[in-house]
Amino acid sequence: MTSPDPLARARGRLRLLALAFLLAFGAVGGRLLQLLLAEPPATAARTARAEPEVGPRADIVDRHGRLLATDIPSVSFALDPLYVRDPAATAARIAAVLEGVDTAELTRRLARPGSRYAPVKRHLLPREQRAVLELGLPGTILRTRFRRVYPQGDLAAHLLGAVGADGRGLAGVEYAFDRRLREDPDRPLRLALDLRVQFALREELEAAFRRFRAKGACGLVLDVHGGDLLAEVSLPALDPLRFGEAPEEVRLDRCSGAVYELGSVFKLVTAAMALESGRVDLARRFDARGPYRIGRFRIRDVHDYRRALTVPEIVAFSSNVGTVQMAFAAGGAAVMEPFLRRLGFDRPLDWPLPERARPLFPRRWPEITVATVAFGHGIAVSPLQYARAVAALVSDGRPRRVRVRADAPVEVAREPVVGEATVERLRWLMWLVVERGTGTKAASRRYLVGGKTGTADKPARGRRGYDRDRTVSSFVGVFPVDAPRYLVLVVLDEPVGDEGTFGFRYGGWTAAPVVGAVIERIGPLLGVPPADEEVRRRYFARLREERFVDPGTGRREKRLAFVAPDRR
Amino acid sequence: MTPHARIRPLRLDLGEKLRALNWALVLLVPILGLVGYLVLYSAAGGAHAPWAWRHAVRLAVGTLVMLAVALTDVRLVYRFAYPVFALCLLALMAVDIAGTLSKGAQRWLDLGPVRLQPSEVTKVALVLALARYFHGLRIEEVGRPSALLAPLGMIGLPAVLVLGQPDLGTAVMLVAVGGTVLFLAGVRIWKFLLAGAAVAAALPVIWANLRDYQRERVLTFLDPERDPLGAGYHILQSYIALGSGGVWGRGLLGGTQAQLDFLPEKQTDFAFALLAEETGFVGAVLLLSLYATMVFIAFAVALRCEHHFGRLLAAGLAVNLALYVTINVGMVAGLLPVVGVPLPFVSYGGTAMFASLLGLGLVLCVDVHRRVPLPRHPGDPPA
Repeated sequence: MTSPDPLARARGRLRLLALAFLLAFGAVGGRLLQLLLAEPPATAARTARAEPEVGPRADIVDRHGRLLATDIPSVSFALDPLYVRDPAATAARIAAVLEGVDTAELTRRLARPGSRYAPVKRHLLPREQRAVLELGLPGTILRTRFRRVYPQGDLAAHLLGAVGADGRGLAGVEYAFDRRLREDPDRPLRLALDLRVQFALREELEAAFRRFRAKGACGLVLDVHGGDLLAEVSLPALDPLRFGEAPEEVRLDRCSGAVYELGSVFKLVTAAMALESGRVDLARRFDARGPYRIGRFRIRDVHDYRRALTVPEIVAFSSNVGTVQMAFAAGGAAVMEPFLRRLGFDRPLDWPLPERARPLFPRRWPEITVATVAFGHGIAVSPLQYARAVAALVSDGRPRRVRVRADAPVEVAREPVVGEATVERLRWLMWLVVERGTGTKAASRRYLVGGKTGTADKPARGRRGYDRDRTVSSFVGVFPVDAPRYLVLVVLDEPVGDEGTFGFRYGGWTAAPVVGAVIERIGPLLGVPPADEEVRRRYFARLREERFVDPGTGRREKRLAFVAPDRR
Repeated sequence: MTPHARIRPLRLDLGEKLRALNWALVLLVPILGLVGYLVLYSAAGGAHAPWAWRHAVRLAVGTLVMLAVALTDVRLVYRFAYPVFALCLLALMAVDIAGTLSKGAQRWLDLGPVRLQPSEVTKVALVLALARYFHGLRIEEVGRPSALLAPLGMIGLPAVLVLGQPDLGTAVMLVAVGGTVLFLAGVRIWKFLLAGAAVAAALPVIWANLRDYQRERVLTFLDPERDPLGAGYHILQSYIALGSGGVWGRGLLGGTQAQLDFLPEKQTDFAFALLAEETGFVGAVLLLSLYATMVFIAFAVALRCEHHFGRLLAAGLAVNLALYVTINVGMVAGLLPVVGVPLPFVSYGGTAMFASLLGLGLVLCVDVHRRVPLPRHPGDPPA
């Protein structure tokens, strides 16, 4: 053979390779051993289940130091049967001083041969503990353990979460800051939550939840500048002490753990995008004669406006047909997709709690997707995530991190998503919605409120398309609208209209009044001064209501138009 | 005299072949298959349907195929190496064009009653084709960069096709298996280092082109608690399963993680987690040793084979098997990111089982025919 046989080299390399895989198998085996040793052995776990050693956890308090969660010592009483001579007599003596003791059962336990532990009663009251001590029974075992209690009951249950029997956090704040709560039990954990605001929101939201027989509801109050989560309510209510037994429906935190197609409230985002693009201004009009066709799809409004609408009218009346054209005029998918990404709609909310629902963000952006996303369908985000984005759009254009802990730093994105001019216009549009548009029921006597209504059809069950009878109705409000400090968002899942709303389930009828009522209640609590006449005048000065006769139909119409500040 | 005329006298008859068969390797197949049966039986909550009985039927049929391949003349295997590889490439392309979607990936070819996953068989065919190529190459030719173009194409083409399905795990395995055959064939070490450096340089580009879910998996691998209910769920549940098994396990059907359905994909990719929970550390290590035995028998076959083709083939297939096991178990144990790689002979899945048995059949075939001379360079004087 003319060439050297590669046998020798191949053999050497083969052995090397075999050695490498031996090491790989060894590494995998070693890892299994590591995982095995990391967990306590099964036998230990079994004994631990009966009597877990639970250390105290730190208190959780609201931003002003009001108690939300605390540990109280709890004494349990047991007997060592070895020291008990006459089980029946002992049981009878105990039953005489303690309520709720089953004498027969206790006698049986005390008589069990070889037993060294017979539980008698848990969670003794101090009075009962004294009675037990006075009995002076030999073999008395009193154990003090800590028990998590929530003085406010279910008021902020979804945010706070719950603690399991092993003393570990299971959800919410208890889970997110579990280590901090266990390792530093003497210093309370202060949340950004404001108990008073939480209560106001809870009361108003629950009233609407019951009145409209909704399947679920959620609401939140956000400090626009600091990103503080001042209140967060999810209904149906959750009993924090029965967390484990609660069905998934109840355990779900609808603010952050669920995503919704929010519908028309999303038009605010579209409007901000359109104004920021520079291609659409408030004087622009769009043909709102429906339906608007894209391929085989047709986009309609609740009723056909049969005329051109100005941009302020599109937002105030919530026209789908107009919004879609606004989105296309702004530049369509090329502008929309990056805009939504910058507002964080393409990923789960970055916050410390484990309730982080993953948004449904379109993968591809054909025209029909751009159109539906423009009015809030075909994209599903969590209400908290949406609130955070709107807070950015009405403050200084910069998204902030949602603050759960009061001592967390305020984190503001460096790059604004929209500029100052857009922020100004968006505020005015939101004011117009409440003053003249679909959101008049959110108006407040004390404050100048801005907002946007939303009514989204829910995806149909078991078939394609949407269900007209089941809606998600929502309202997002900010106040004071000229320099927003707080944002209130309310979402009702499948509300049913009643006589009071003439059977309507629209967000403007169901969710807007809740937001209005909440704002009236929390404004004074938060020290927000009532609206200034001067501001009111300034906002009205930009509005021109033009009366005209439609040349096509001959009908008399009223048009809402924006007066640019420089032309005033 | 033609080379074929010269090797004719060395044809083995059936009796000789059966005696030369590596029975230890053959015996490992039903043992592993039985483990698979028990795991699938348990995964179904103690029922033969829907997985276990099909697994058994496939194993039986596949074993017959394996034995048939083992008894085939290695020269026939040599001759059909390229056609088989070409067929696999065609099937891969067909999948890209007309494949069936499952869980967001297009990997299956629907042929009426049978659904094939050509990417599994391609791994075996790739080893076959590369062994065939390097068998006919002189060592100084191996050093020539131009001689590496063809094998790089053989690895790259199926890898790109598979990546498009998208199936990152299989693509990585194809490159790894192909790379080891090149390594064994004598390609210089510095060329691998160069390729490694190129890959490292390309990482940012690759990262930018990964699908969202793939990126999510890598991030989740780095920190599974990042999203405990979402992307990190599989791996956390798997940890819990591995930890809860203890030394001796909770007993068959006694695993809470698997039986209460916390553990996802327990009949396929996470079968090992179920096994580890129910049979404990001992069972897991026992299974790993069975695989290790299988792999090292295959390496031994490669070492004692007297022709280059067989040596490369057996070693390449040994590496293929070892990669399956280490990647799957490494993934379940949190050493590697979650990529969909099944556990051979245990995970539920027809094509993967068939491909594994085909590969084992080829190793057996190489062993039976280890002394059969295969001319390396037709026309050379006899060695």
